[in-house]
Amino acid sequence: MKPIQESVRKKPLLGWMIFLATLVVVFLLGLLASSIMERRAESVFAYTPQVKYDQWEPRNEVWGQNFPREFQSYYQTADTTFRSKYDGNAMIDMLEVDPRLVVLWAGYGFSKDYNQGRGHYYAIEDIRNTFRTGGPKNEKDGPMPATCWTCKSPDVPRLMNEIGVAEFYKGKWAGKGSEIVNPIGCADCHDAKTMNLRVTRPALIEAFERQGKDINKATHQEMRSLVCAQCHVEYYFNKKRVEGVPYLTFPWDKGMTVEAAEEYYDEMDFKDWTHKLSRAPMLKAQHPGYEIYLKGIHADRGVSCADCHMPYKSEGGQKFTDHHIQSPLNNVANSCQVCHRQETDKLIKNVFTRQDQIIQNRDKLEELLVRAHVESKKAWDLGASETEMKPVLQLIRHAQWRWDYAAASHGGSFHAPTEIGRIVATGIVRAQDARIDLARILANHGYNKEVAYPDIATKAKAQKYIGLDIEKLKKEKEEFKKNLLPEWQEKAKKRESTYQVKL
Amino acid sequence: MRKLFKFLTPPPEWKLPVFIILGIFVGLGCYVLYLSKAASYLSDDPKTCVNCHIMAPQYATWNHSSHREVATCNDCHVPHNNVFNKYFFKAKDGLRHASIFAMRKEPEVIFILEAGKKVVHNNCIRCHSQTLTDPKLAAKVPNQAHNTQDRVCWECHREVPHGRVNSISSVPNARVPVPESPVPDWLNEYMKETKLENE
Repeated sequence: MKPIQESVRKKPLLGWMIFLATLVVVFLLGLLASSIMERRAESVFAYTPQVKYDQWEPRNEVWGQNFPREFQSYYQTADTTFRSKYDGNAMIDMLEVDPRLVVLWAGYGFSKDYNQGRGHYYAIEDIRNTFRTGGPKNEKDGPMPATCWTCKSPDVPRLMNEIGVAEFYKGKWAGKGSEIVNPIGCADCHDAKTMNLRVTRPALIEAFERQGKDINKATHQEMRSLVCAQCHVEYYFNKKRVEGVPYLTFPWDKGMTVEAAEEYYDEMDFKDWTHKLSRAPMLKAQHPGYEIYLKGIHADRGVSCADCHMPYKSEGGQKFTDHHIQSPLNNVANSCQVCHRQETDKLIKNVFTRQDQIIQNRDKLEELLVRAHVESKKAWDLGASETEMKPVLQLIRHAQWRWDYAAASHGGSFHAPTEIGRIVATGIVRAQDARIDLARILANHGYNKEVAYPDIATKAKAQKYIGLDIEKLKKEKEEFKKNLLPEWQEKAKKRESTYQVKL
Repeated sequence: MRKLFKFLTPPPEWKLPVFIILGIFVGLGCYVLYLSKAASYLSDDPKTCVNCHIMAPQYATWNHSSHREVATCNDCHVPHNNVFNKYFFKAKDGLRHASIFAMRKEPEVIFILEAGKKVVHNNCIRCHSQTLTDPKLAAKVPNQAHNTQDRVCWECHREVPHGRVNSISSVPNARVPVPESPVPDWLNEYMKETKLENE
């Protein structure tokens, strides 16, 4: 074999052919590389928005221009026609349905007014209307702190970004009324640039940090629950973190169970209010939906909140996540039946069975708690001492905490029936222990009879029994809606008219 | 062998240019491998399948199905009778997909081919063999053997797991982990910095 140099010298054409072959190969390789690059870039540009808005755009209607399907399905949370056996999306006056609640919450805002919640669409309207927020006359007036706005609106992350987190929580509820006007929506859960899910509420991020976890490492599937866990959790207002500011905090430092949260509160001597009848240092469970969900079989199998409450939907050959967040019982085909092959009626019946089984004992616990409060009042009236009553009041505190944890975790009796059953059972034990002690105290003070169960057959009777002037509340609310509320709306309109994107 | 080696070895005075040209070849080759995330194709991660964004509907529908928790793309779409067959089939199918994609010949609605059908069907049976061999079902359900063995599973179970329609524009806003920019972070940072300096 001759060296190639010689062959080329003899036939220069061969040299040219080698040159050409190299050229073609490099050209094609380059072409392939740029084609891969182009096609990878395609996926980035597949989403071309109609309008451009910034990261903290609070108006859902603006986002809706880019995502009409998601937006329109979100708007269906305005529907209030669905009622399941216990819940649904209609507004139900729970104090009317169950007047015992008034006695359980005597001395606390919830005895004034408590409704089965409506869809996210009504978040702003309903918090303005409830008697719990009172009828403030100016921005420094009213019973509630600004912290109460935290879960209500995409205006919250916007404002937090503008003035800082602690400054947001500071002051009265009425102080931020003109700032927060858009109901829960897009910017609460989505990043404006990538539309990826994001956590916007600092309380969840801080709770994760204290547990030594990094929320940024959460997977997409976990995020489909964590965006809900920004609000659907048990929380309290910590007044020690920043002086004089009711700082929204999750009691998760010792664990995610009802006992862990109780221990956390006991250790810091925290109470939400002092009960008006029994004078017990009470805890109000908010809505530990996420905590209870974690204890259930669905969470264990990797099912997220969105899988059942926002399932995939097909419309005109386009599939998208149904943003009509609602009870899966109103949409069994797309939620339950993706995994379970049973008939719709059967599946709904299975849910009702669990709810029925749980409510039986929860109802009993509720009655025991009413009795314990009334008996405690009797004991105080007969001259019982602080030291006598202290262990009793602690038992009442723990028993009602358990009842509330079970009751307020709406859907809990389906999400984790065995856990709720356990919580209610431990609550009954504590309530009865309290009543055994109370019977002894009453006997010691010369009263050895049953304390009469109060006549609380209706909401009005119960509110009268605990000494609540509902007419005054009504009047205050009406004045607030006539005077302050229009001012808020006017201010908000003016502010939003200065935003870049016009509607 | 030695002859061939000798034939391919360039004469001493050609060595430098040959090294450079070979370097260009190999470098370009590596660049193509990096851009196409070639290494990821050895794994079973479903994210690999959305390296090409036109697989987004398949990924999104799977991610919303009950199979999400128990089966990856490869569990159903490549054979599992032995490891050689698995990678042979994967390479064959993958290269076909890649060529069609590179030539922009992808159809608006993607349908599975005969070879792929067989693989998927066998994989249905691999996990769900009990429903086919259950003597109780065979005794109770009329024509059970007939109905389960003379057709593919999804002739009846049509929605499993991707749903019915899978046109490449069927999931406009699905959050699918398509590959991010191939430019590494440090380079991005550097370019930002130099841009700032120039301004």
